Amino acid sequence: MNEAKGRTRAGTKDLIRYDHNHDGLDRRGFLKCMAWAGAGAFCVLRGGVLHSYALGGLREADAKGELSFVQISDSHMGFNKPANPDVTTTLQVAIDKINALPRAPEFLLHTGDISHLSKPSEFDTVDQMLKSARVKDTFFVPGEHDVLNDDGRQYRERYAQRAQGGGWYSFDKGGVHFIGLVNVLNLKAGGLGDLGSEQLEWIEKDVKPLSKSTPIVVFAHIPLWSVYPEWGWGTDDSARALGYLKKFGSVTVLNGHIHQVMQKVEGNVTFHTAMSTAFPQPKPGQAPSPGPMKVPDEQLRSVLGITEVDFLQGSHALAVTDQTLG
Amino acid sequence: MKNRYRTLLLAILFTAATGQAQDKKAATQNPKPAPVEIKIDNFSFTPPTISIPAGTTVRWTNRDDIPHTVVSDDQKFESKALDTDDQYSYTFNQQGTYGYFCSIHPKMTGKVVVQ
Repeated sequence: MNEAKGRTRAGTKDLIRYDHNHDGLDRRGFLKCMAWAGAGAFCVLRGGVLHSYALGGLREADAKGELSFVQISDSHMGFNKPANPDVTTTLQVAIDKINALPRAPEFLLHTGDISHLSKPSEFDTVDQMLKSARVKDTFFVPGEHDVLNDDGRQYRERYAQRAQGGGWYSFDKGGVHFIGLVNVLNLKAGGLGDLGSEQLEWIEKDVKPLSKSTPIVVFAHIPLWSVYPEWGWGTDDSARALGYLKKFGSVTVLNGHIHQVMQKVEGNVTFHTAMSTAFPQPKPGQAPSPGPMKVPDEQLRSVLGITEVDFLQGSHALAVTDQTLG
Repeated sequence: MKNRYRTLLLAILFTAATGQAQDKKAATQNPKPAPVEIKIDNFSFTPPTISIPAGTTVRWTNRDDIPHTVVSDDQKFESKALDTDDQYSYTFNQQGTYGYFCSIHPKMTGKVVVQ
């Protein structure tokens, strides 16, 4: 996986890892485009090729369907070990970054591990802090740390009262169909993340009435692609879920769990994992275990971050940009 | 009728009491085996497989910065989430092979063989 780093005009560091299996993406052009983003342009990735649109050049019809949202993940509120003894401050920095985005995001997705130990006080702290994020709405999916000891009952009472079964749901925003999935319950010995047949059947029904031109965003905690099964970084029955999405021209899958950016494009599906707001984890196989990774204090914020997603109606593609906290 | 029930009840109570006395006798003859420790470290159980005599208490200690659980495959025993340095103990009284795993990180598996 290649890695590119650059600096935007605002002086913040963007981290983009976007090697789509040697598809010839012009990384320099991408960075240039990202630099424009702060100055009023949009970058859209379509079929592995990057397109940028200056704001003034947009047709009205295109501009009408604009949608921008932000993803954060793995806040692990309550974690206090050396990898980050102050996860409250780094979550606050993430919220400040969101509030400083040149284009206010419509809403926020949190892809799980809100808390470290499923304690009510941990959830309370995050809820209180997220109130200061300048977004109209917040959507959650649970991480395995959010469903400890009660099979997710507390999580569902707090975040998914109107959801189905174990807490899955869907909604539509700006012409995009969003599907929030739960793959951290009823895990089997020796296995990976798990969606289960009830949820899979629901997905099939949920997407059936949609036209194939509807852009789909799927978000779940554990990656829905096989990142590194040896560390449990994958979901056993994700292939069935993705099978139901085959007819769609644009599918974007957003995950957390692995505390680092990874991206892969497979046909019409773009898979992307977000950084954590709490602590980094090692690259696959490069440590004895996937536990929290201690980096020098001054480097911590460079390995934590937020993810911004932009969508332009008519383009059938979403641009995913990661921004570190420092 | 009433008397018949009373007799039956007494018989059950008597059997239970004798059974208890026999258990106590067995325990005195075979002192309780020493407890066995299993370490949870780097997302694995060490040692991953142990063989123990019946009656042994096994104690798991989490040495990771991340919580783990100890859950038997058939859910016969199940710990709460163990934070760093938390412990969980279970006494194996019956012979058999008990597979277990961490229900948060199910790639972590272990086995207890009770002889």
